[in-house]
Amino acid sequence: MHKNTRRNFLKLSAAGLAIGLPGLSFGATFPARNMEVFIPTRAGGGADRNFRSFAGVWKNHLDVDLEPAFYPGAAGRVGYETYMGKASDDCHDLIFGNMGPEVLNWVVKPPTSFSVDDYFYFLMVDADPGCVFISEKSSMKTLEDVIAEGKKRTLTIATSRLAHPASLGMLVLANKMGMKVNLIPMSGGKNTRNGVLTGEVDLGVLPATTVMGKKGIKILGLFDEKNLVPEKMAGATLINTEYKLGIPPIAAGARAFGIKKAAADKYPDRFEKLVETGMKVFKDPDYKVAVKKAKAPWAFIVAGGVNECRDYVGNITRIGKEYSGLLKG
Amino acid sequence: MAPELSVFLALFADTLSYWWVIIPATILGIVVGAIPGFSAANTIIILLPITLAMEPATGMIFMVVLYTASRLGAGIPAILVNIPGTAGAAATPLDGYPMAVAGRGQQALAISFTASVGAGIITTIAAIILIPWLSQVAYHLHSVEMIVVMLFGISLIATISAADKIKGLIAGFFGLMIGYIGADVVYEAPRGSFGFLELYDKVPLIPALVGLFAISEAFVVIERNTILSKEGETGQQQAGWGPTLEGIRATIVHWKEVIWTGMLGLVIGVIPGAGAAIASFVAYQQSRLMSKTPELYGSGHVPGLIAPESANNGVTSGTLIPLLIIGVPGGATAAIMAVVLEYHGVNFGPDLFESEPMIAYGSFTAMLVTYVLLGFLILPLTRYFSRVMVVPTLYMVPILIAFTLVGAFVPRAYVFDMGVAIVFGIIGYIARRTGYHVAAILIGVILGPLLENYFLRALRISQGDLGVLFSSTIGNILWVLLLLSVLAPGLKRFLTSSRKTRNAD
Repeated sequence: MHKNTRRNFLKLSAAGLAIGLPGLSFGATFPARNMEVFIPTRAGGGADRNFRSFAGVWKNHLDVDLEPAFYPGAAGRVGYETYMGKASDDCHDLIFGNMGPEVLNWVVKPPTSFSVDDYFYFLMVDADPGCVFISEKSSMKTLEDVIAEGKKRTLTIATSRLAHPASLGMLVLANKMGMKVNLIPMSGGKNTRNGVLTGEVDLGVLPATTVMGKKGIKILGLFDEKNLVPEKMAGATLINTEYKLGIPPIAAGARAFGIKKAAADKYPDRFEKLVETGMKVFKDPDYKVAVKKAKAPWAFIVAGGVNECRDYVGNITRIGKEYSGLLKG
Repeated sequence: MAPELSVFLALFADTLSYWWVIIPATILGIVVGAIPGFSAANTIIILLPITLAMEPATGMIFMVVLYTASRLGAGIPAILVNIPGTAGAAATPLDGYPMAVAGRGQQALAISFTASVGAGIITTIAAIILIPWLSQVAYHLHSVEMIVVMLFGISLIATISAADKIKGLIAGFFGLMIGYIGADVVYEAPRGSFGFLELYDKVPLIPALVGLFAISEAFVVIERNTILSKEGETGQQQAGWGPTLEGIRATIVHWKEVIWTGMLGLVIGVIPGAGAAIASFVAYQQSRLMSKTPELYGSGHVPGLIAPESANNGVTSGTLIPLLIIGVPGGATAAIMAVVLEYHGVNFGPDLFESEPMIAYGSFTAMLVTYVLLGFLILPLTRYFSRVMVVPTLYMVPILIAFTLVGAFVPRAYVFDMGVAIVFGIIGYIARRTGYHVAAILIGVILGPLLENYFLRALRISQGDLGVLFSSTIGNILWVLLLLSVLAPGLKRFLTSSRKTRNAD
């Protein structure tokens, strides 16, 4: 009896160690392995640049590397479908996306293999305002000219794609001012810029960093409440306040880390550590150095937590639903 | 804006001092060009950390040289094993590969390299002289005009399927249908993607390209001992330096072809979004149209190889012009160059030729130096490159398939794309066995989506008014030229037969 009890005790202890210890040590040393970050765009673009600047510093606070995995295609859908299908629920797998265009994806065509509530963003790293720009050769010189012209005839407006926050800003402005606009999706920022520069369209809308300081282009207005880079966007009208659009600032580029809801619910302590260490990055002087080295404008770096991300997604979704008919072409 | 001769010569000499960048970049360019899927654009992206660390002028010369050399490299597998590693070399096998199969691979390589180097040098010099005018082309060719340019390329379907028009047209329409798989640029409505998200952004081009040409070819040649035909085997074994010299001579004889197809490539290269694939198809189609022996095209005819190779090398200098003058890249590689130059704070525009001559003119002089270097470096190698043809298919086919599958994987890093290559390999094999032209399918796959993009964009701008297609003067001139080029062969035949009838009477 005594022997059996001791054997049982040893068995139970061994089993407890086998099951419990790894768990305990795993939890205690989170992250226990390198973080994998799914990026739903091609390598070499703006998301890649922002990710590398941020991850290069965040890794010092997490004590593990953050490894990017790029899944371009279908305006981000491939990356999100892959993340939701393949990522683990242990908080080691994150997604790094551009919230605005990707959320608008779901507005115009909801995902089929998961619910939009199955993941959420928790760490916003930048807010690149949407802007209205023209070619310097254009006969229209100011936003007033554009509005006046838009009341006389239908203006052709180049945009990266219809379901984009910059398009949304233009639609709100046109609606408010009684302008006639025809959005022309040009498949990407480069083509949008080309369309305006070569005079195929009247004007364009894009995130400001895509056109700021570019030769032959003049930024006329920002869908924002303040001009954070006045030296490169001199005279740009603050459209939201000037024309009382009644909408919050529209960041056309707002990159953020996201996570599966199941992972955050299952391991709140780990999620908390991600948020806590992530926010420390913004105060780390190395981050400013990394951003400047990547030639990204520091003025657009915005530290946003769960609430800021939720507000942004909520606003874009609300306005997007209002104009969803026009965003589908 | 064109420099004085003394300034140009000084710049040329200055460029030579970058030999330590030019030589390795040239060799690397040939290698990456020759491997399917490893285009210059991909390689520059991979090497971005190195390029960004270089001085702007050094980085620009490195990229330009890599880009230039990769163009020549892409012709090697296109001719020897029927694998156009990039879309720009897609028209090269039409006449290059039949020459190789007939044991004239060495000669074909010599023709391809001589035409490329010749056209490259001529168009680069022309680009320097014509910069002020060529930089304006992008302002005049919008969606409407580009629709007609695309149709020039697509009309090649009818041209290359002269032997069996019905089968050619079926293959071409099949290609166009494949090209329309995925979401359109305006409405983003996916069509025929069978639920695969990986097909949402259209059928990936490189996997389709290597599948249709290379994998299907591998399936065909496995039935033989070598890629060469029986007669070709004998000729190849006995080859010395003669075929190389013969190839150089044959190209020099057709110098006019080199110049005009090269210049055509230069003009198409200047148009943003056009590029080497369109240039080489249009050049091939126009070359055949103007030829006195159009029936020889597709059977290993020298001008049929010169035209696409000269044109796609003309594109290289053309693509830089709108980038440097108005900051609008002419193609994918130029777009990546723009990223690097913007990173260094370089401001594009006419001022660049004054403020940074080593970047502006230096890009073109680097091209010139590369072409001269390539002439000496690559032509002597034709004899050895062509020995690939005698490798038994027992070894060659698995190597080919392995390389092509890796090439299919590289651009997007999706295993799915390897599957796409295999599916297209099977489609290509069936097409070959049943007498359908795989090149006709490929033209549809490459040009179909581009045509659709421009068409939908033009209609969107005009708010659905089809009259927009005839709304521009340049567009209308192009329409007339297209009509003439489509009707010309029939008219020519009609006039010849009427003349014969009259003479008989």
